[in-house]
This record gives sequence, structure tokens and C-alpha cells, in this order.
Amino acid sequence: MNERRTTWLLVLVLAVQLLLLAAQVRSEGGATLLEQTALRLVGPVGRLVAGFFGSAEDVGRSLRSRGELQAENRQLQGRIETLELELFRLRNVEEERERLAEALEYTPQVPGRLRPTQVVYLDHSSWLRTLILYVGRRTVRQDEPVITPAGLVGRVILTAGSYAKVQLITDRAAAASAVIERTRRQALVRGGNDGLELDFVPLQASVEPGDRVLTAGTDGIYPRGIPIGTVVKVGQGDELFRDVLVTPAVDFAMLDRVYLLERETVPDELKENEAGARP
Amino acid sequence: MRALKLILGLAAALGAHLVGTWLVPDLPRVLDLFLVVVVLNALDASSLSGLSVGLGVGLLQDGLSGRLYGLHGFADTIVGYAVARAGQRLDLTSPAAVLVTVALATLLQEATLVVLAYLFTDPEPPEPLWVLVQAVANGVAGALLVSLGGRIRNLREVSRRHRASKIRL
Repeated sequence: MNERRTTWLLVLVLAVQLLLLAAQVRSEGGATLLEQTALRLVGPVGRLVAGFFGSAEDVGRSLRSRGELQAENRQLQGRIETLELELFRLRNVEEERERLAEALEYTPQVPGRLRPTQVVYLDHSSWLRTLILYVGRRTVRQDEPVITPAGLVGRVILTAGSYAKVQLITDRAAAASAVIERTRRQALVRGGNDGLELDFVPLQASVEPGDRVLTAGTDGIYPRGIPIGTVVKVGQGDELFRDVLVTPAVDFAMLDRVYLLERETVPDELKENEAGARP
Repeated sequence: MRALKLILGLAAALGAHLVGTWLVPDLPRVLDLFLVVVVLNALDASSLSGLSVGLGVGLLQDGLSGRLYGLHGFADTIVGYAVARAGQRLDLTSPAAVLVTVALATLLQEATLVVLAYLFTDPEPPEPLWVLVQAVANGVAGALLVSLGGRIRNLREVSRRHRASKIRL
């Protein structure tokens, strides 16, 4: 073998060994250096593309007619008034809850702080089901819930520099403890091929299309009360449980901005099982 | 024959490493017999042989180290290749040349390991004094082995000539 080929062989061998080393190194969050490096490489490109299309949309919006803008403005004003009324009502409810909690000496779980975050890459339809967020210099924890006003999106599974990777709730490896709002029946929601599947709903339990499914808050990751989806189909299933199909509350095709929910989670040493497998 | 010598050398290095480490736990800090084997093999070998032996020996050493698997494999691959290329251009047969070559190879290996540590693990830079001590110790070990090998060859040559010179009646 001549020297040039040997040199190329050397380069190849060294490259393979670097990959081998990278594949072994895991950060505190459990992600390999390879995964982190890939996220650091993909993130800026995704942000560039998202920024380009965002700018194109802005240009498109600015070209609309005056009449269209006025109509949209009126619509948005009406929505703001509705939301303000709702906010006023919810503040009263919150105050009443605090008064009752104080009277009963009950310590409610602090809901957490919401941080808006930009979506730079989303692949919700292929088997990958990947969402990448640009979080900037802020510290993001693993397993931090990601939500929108519509409902649950998923949880952070990997952080690298200014980017975070999110496991969508529709991912086949994702799961969350859930509760049917109407009956308070607890179950487990998992990602499936055609949306979400609600597992461990007994045959004798009452569940019907149209029932809202919320997070139960018992898996140590997602707090209670976040909308997950709506039941669309109830089947017989096996001898013990029903087949329940749930359509997600979030329209993943329209995701633009999401919110990271900062909250105090259950310490790892107290958890027995974690809902949601690692990818 | 060359492969046999390599295997025997490697087995001896492994045995000496295990026994020595049991007796003196800090021995690997002072003496890296695996690296000595890699360098001695590469001195009069092709680049491919130097690269291959460095890779194999390094990975074997990684299996003993408990750190990331592949650190020494990476470093010794580079060392084996570099020494083989140097051996093709320079006369490195004398014990003094071997001492210098092994010492420089030790420094190259340590530098590579430091870079890899910064990239992949919590960096723990080695103490320069111990690096120098190891470089000198490795160099001396390599020079001694080459001298010993030379003496053994000379003795065998003398013995062969002695046998050949006897007149058989």
C-alpha cells in the first residue's frame, strides 16, 4: 500500500475513533456528545431557515391591503377584550383558591413560569418527530415541559449551546399521565401512528368522543391541567381496556412560538417510574 | 517472525504492566510499556504496520484503563504512524536514537491525550514533571531493550559462527 493510501487510511481510522469517543461521552443530561454536536450543527441552520421564511411571511403580510389590515385589527381588538375578561375572571378564581387554600392550610403546587421560545426546526410528520428550539443563553433543564396556549407540545430531551431538542407528545416513545376531564378517569397517553393513544382505560369506564384529555400531573414531568387533546374514537380494545384515540390539542403544523414551563419538579430520587421513554 | 516478536512483546508488556501496577499502582504514570512496544515495532516497519500496531495496542491499553475507550487507540495510532514515517527517513537503530525517539513519542502521545481530554472528558492536564519523567523512563526502557536485543543477536551470531567454524572430522 503506497504512502498516500496509508495516509488516507490513517485519517479514516482517526475519524472513526473520534466518532467512537464522541458516542461514549454523555453529559449530565444523558445525551451523548455526538447528539449535542449534531444539535449544535443543525440548530443554526434551522434558525437561518426559520428566519428566512419568517421574514418572507412578514413581507407578505406587509403587502396586504389597508382594508384587510383594518379588519384584522378589529378582530384582534375583539379577541383582546375577550381575553381580558377571561383574565379578570381567572384572577378572581385564583384569589378565591388562595383564600380557600389558606383556610384549609393546603399548599398548592406552584404552576411555574412561562418563557416564550422560538421554533427553528419542526418535523412532526415523519418518524423522527423532532422539534428544535432556540433558547439563547437561558438555562434549559432536561424534561422541561413545552406548551402552547392550545396545549401540550412535549418535553426537552437534549440541550446543546443555544438550542434545545424537544420530544413531541406524538412521538412513539413519548408518554404522559393523563386524566379525562369529564370523569376524572386517569390513564396514560402515548404517541401513536395516527395521533395519540389513551391507554389503560377500563372497559367499564365512561369515555366518549369529545371528552377532553388533560395532563394528570402524576408523572413528575408535566404539571396538572394542561390540555393534551380530545377523544375522537373509542373502540372495544382487548379484554380489559378500551382503544381510545385522541387528537392532539396542538396543531403541530402551525407551531411557531412555544413556551417553556419552568417549574420545580419531583426530585429524581423520589421517582419510581418516568413516563416517556428516552429516544 | 515479526508478528511473533510483536505478539511476544505485547504479551510481555501486558504482563509487566499488570504485575508492575499491582506492585506499584503509580507505575503507569512513570512507564508506558505499551507505547514502548508500539515505537520499537514502528522503528523499522511500514507506515501501515506502525498505524495498525498503534491502533491495536492502544485499544488494548484502553481496555485496561477504565477511561473512555479509544483514547490511547487514537493517540497510539498517530504515534505508530509518525514513528514509522520517521524511521523510513532517519537512521534510528542506535540506542541513543531509540531513547530520543521513544521520549518524543511519549510527549506526542501525552499531547494527543490532553487534546482528547479537553474535547471529550473533564480535562485533567498531566503534571509536566511526570510527563518528562515518563518520557525519559520510556526512552531508557526502549534503549535498554534495543541494546539487549542487539546483544542477543550478537551472541547468537557469534555462536553460529563458532559452530560453523568447528572443523568436523
